[in-house]
Amino acid sequence: MPAAPRIPATGVLALLLALVLGGCGISAGGGQGGDEAATAGGVTPALADVEPLADVRDWEGATTAVPDDRLEPVADDPEPALPVTVTDSQGTEVTVTDASRVLALDIYGTLSRTVHELGLGERLVGRDVSTQFDAAADLPLVTQNGHDLNAEAILGLDPTLIITDTSLGPWDVVLQMRDAGIPVVVVDSHRGLDNVASLTREVAAALGVPDAGAALAERTQAQVDETVARIEAVAPAEAGERLRTVFLYVRGQSGVYYMFGEGSGADSLIEAVGGYDVAAEIGWNGMKPLTDEGLVAAQPDLVLMMTGGLESAGGVDGLLERLPALAQTPAGQHQRFVAMEDSQILGFGPATAAVLDALAVGIYAPDAAS
Amino acid sequence: MSATTVPVTPVRATLRGIAARVGLLGGLGVALVVILVVSAGTGQLDVPADQVLGSLMHKIGLDIGPVPTHPQGENTLWQVRFPRVVMAALAGAALATAGALMQGVFGNPLAEPGVVGVSSGAAVAAASVIVFQWTFAGTWTVAVCAFLGGLVTTTLVYVMSRDGGRTEVVTLVLTGIALNAVTSAGLAFLMFLGDTQAREEIVFWQLGSLNGSRWEYVGVVAPLAVVGLVAAMLLAPRLDLLALGDRAAKHVGVDVERLRMVTIVVVAVLTAAAVSFCGIIAFVGLVVPHLIRMISGPGHRMLVPASALGGAVLLVTADLWARTAVEYADLPIGMLTSLVGGPFFFWLLRRARRTAGGWA
Repeated sequence: MPAAPRIPATGVLALLLALVLGGCGISAGGGQGGDEAATAGGVTPALADVEPLADVRDWEGATTAVPDDRLEPVADDPEPALPVTVTDSQGTEVTVTDASRVLALDIYGTLSRTVHELGLGERLVGRDVSTQFDAAADLPLVTQNGHDLNAEAILGLDPTLIITDTSLGPWDVVLQMRDAGIPVVVVDSHRGLDNVASLTREVAAALGVPDAGAALAERTQAQVDETVARIEAVAPAEAGERLRTVFLYVRGQSGVYYMFGEGSGADSLIEAVGGYDVAAEIGWNGMKPLTDEGLVAAQPDLVLMMTGGLESAGGVDGLLERLPALAQTPAGQHQRFVAMEDSQILGFGPATAAVLDALAVGIYAPDAAS
Repeated sequence: MSATTVPVTPVRATLRGIAARVGLLGGLGVALVVILVVSAGTGQLDVPADQVLGSLMHKIGLDIGPVPTHPQGENTLWQVRFPRVVMAALAGAALATAGALMQGVFGNPLAEPGVVGVSSGAAVAAASVIVFQWTFAGTWTVAVCAFLGGLVTTTLVYVMSRDGGRTEVVTLVLTGIALNAVTSAGLAFLMFLGDTQAREEIVFWQLGSLNGSRWEYVGVVAPLAVVGLVAAMLLAPRLDLLALGDRAAKHVGVDVERLRMVTIVVVAVLTAAAVSFCGIIAFVGLVVPHLIRMISGPGHRMLVPASALGGAVLLVTADLWARTAVEYADLPIGMLTSLVGGPFFFWLLRRARRTAGGWA
């Protein structure tokens, strides 16, 4: 591993840990300030404003899609109706009496964004590593080393309500928070287009603002429907004509890569952007490492990736050099990669419409995106 | 155990004996109390020492000292930090004692739950619980399976590495390599089978960590560790006789085979106590008993209790470092102990070869 000569000892440890932990789950690259650089380059224009390619296969080169992630809260600091008792997704009955200091933590940063969009952003007292939008970026981080919850860091913020799912661990830390008497509402950890609205309502119910939740869920769903319809209009109509698409999770230069399949959220994403889901074709479940031959056999036309993952693999050139199998596919030959920030691409939630729109521009109008 | 003693003059031996018997246990006891207090008063969430003490006093009904001023200070201490510190002490004591027992019963200075693969055997069983989500014994499921896994591997090591009444260094180490290879393959396979969450849990576990220790888990580990420690103390005098050799031990009335089997079960109990909620923490059982022997000599009546105390001191200290060295991060404690224990093992290996006059 080529390391810079002067990394402080703690840096080396953190790096080692990141390597170990990163290999076995999703690692939102963040924390290195990577996304400021990305947003500084400008937001990808809206699909409605660009001219799509006449032939979706007639393009060479990779694009980075940057969604317009401005926050537009549906309400201005609505007053939560408390106390409220909710039955969370695990069947636990939780009573929330105080929503003045809230932690909303998950692997994709979806929950904290939802809290912001509900108009309660001021009440957040900390964040997970994937929560990187401007309004929350300065909050103290409670997940160091990727996705490890730190019990003392959480208690130090004195939260009165924790909303989380099962995507962050160790689970025992969540249980410790319950032991400490803090209400912990566990929401659905599945992320996909099918539950954006219900997830929003779950979060809103825990916060005692069901009306704002209904409004946000409705707005998000309407935006998503509109965007999906717009994408349908530019995507090839015939299933056989659609781009064979895979979502690859690459991290570092080890040559290990995961293909995200059914239930990972990537399936939902590919369908929404009008791609042909190769993982579904071969019955690929969850997130699993893919073999070289499997990749060649899949023959993808297009690869969706996380920006941080692509960078860590040495960019498009580094990736193709390291994964000769990828170079043997149409996507590799034409460098048809569309990347989006790690913290955004799979974070189904209020920003989903913007994410889909930006990805669609990256796919169908790459000249406008790059 | 002759391999681990150093020839000394009679006067020094006498002095050393007195110092050891009177001072060592007391010294270690004091050290343990001190490190427990320091550890309980140190963490990411800053609670000053007087408030920690005040919180303790209030808990036992004495209205002395200030209570924590941070709104979650009390919870941090009682739900996060105290169970963790107690868990570290229990796991350290269990591992060090298991090491001392194994070295005694194998008559081999290199025997240790981590090195010979007993810990990873227990780990495979516990990882199976995570992956297949067995819950037949509630919170105890992991502990029960870890015990069975540990028992099977200890017995395997015993059967495979003994020949003609003794265990040679090379055979034991090679048996350990073989067992560790098989168990790590088992763990790798379980990681392949498991979903993302199970996978992360297993990794967390392979490296060893005390993060997320709860009273509920301490409640499982404590009885196991206590039973194991008491049994170890009871076995200690007979292990001294065993050190004379099998024949001599038989002549003075020790049922050698039964002693060995009982000791192996005790080792499995102790290893399960440590492994089931803290993961694989290697080398504690190697480093601690050897350091104790250097001070007090090889007698088990001294070695076992002193190792238990020493192991607790070591692991509480290591865990204190693991959770405070990098702000807000938890370093895997197994990584730390291996980092220190690995070179120690190497040094021991060289020494064992020299004093035993060769690799056999």
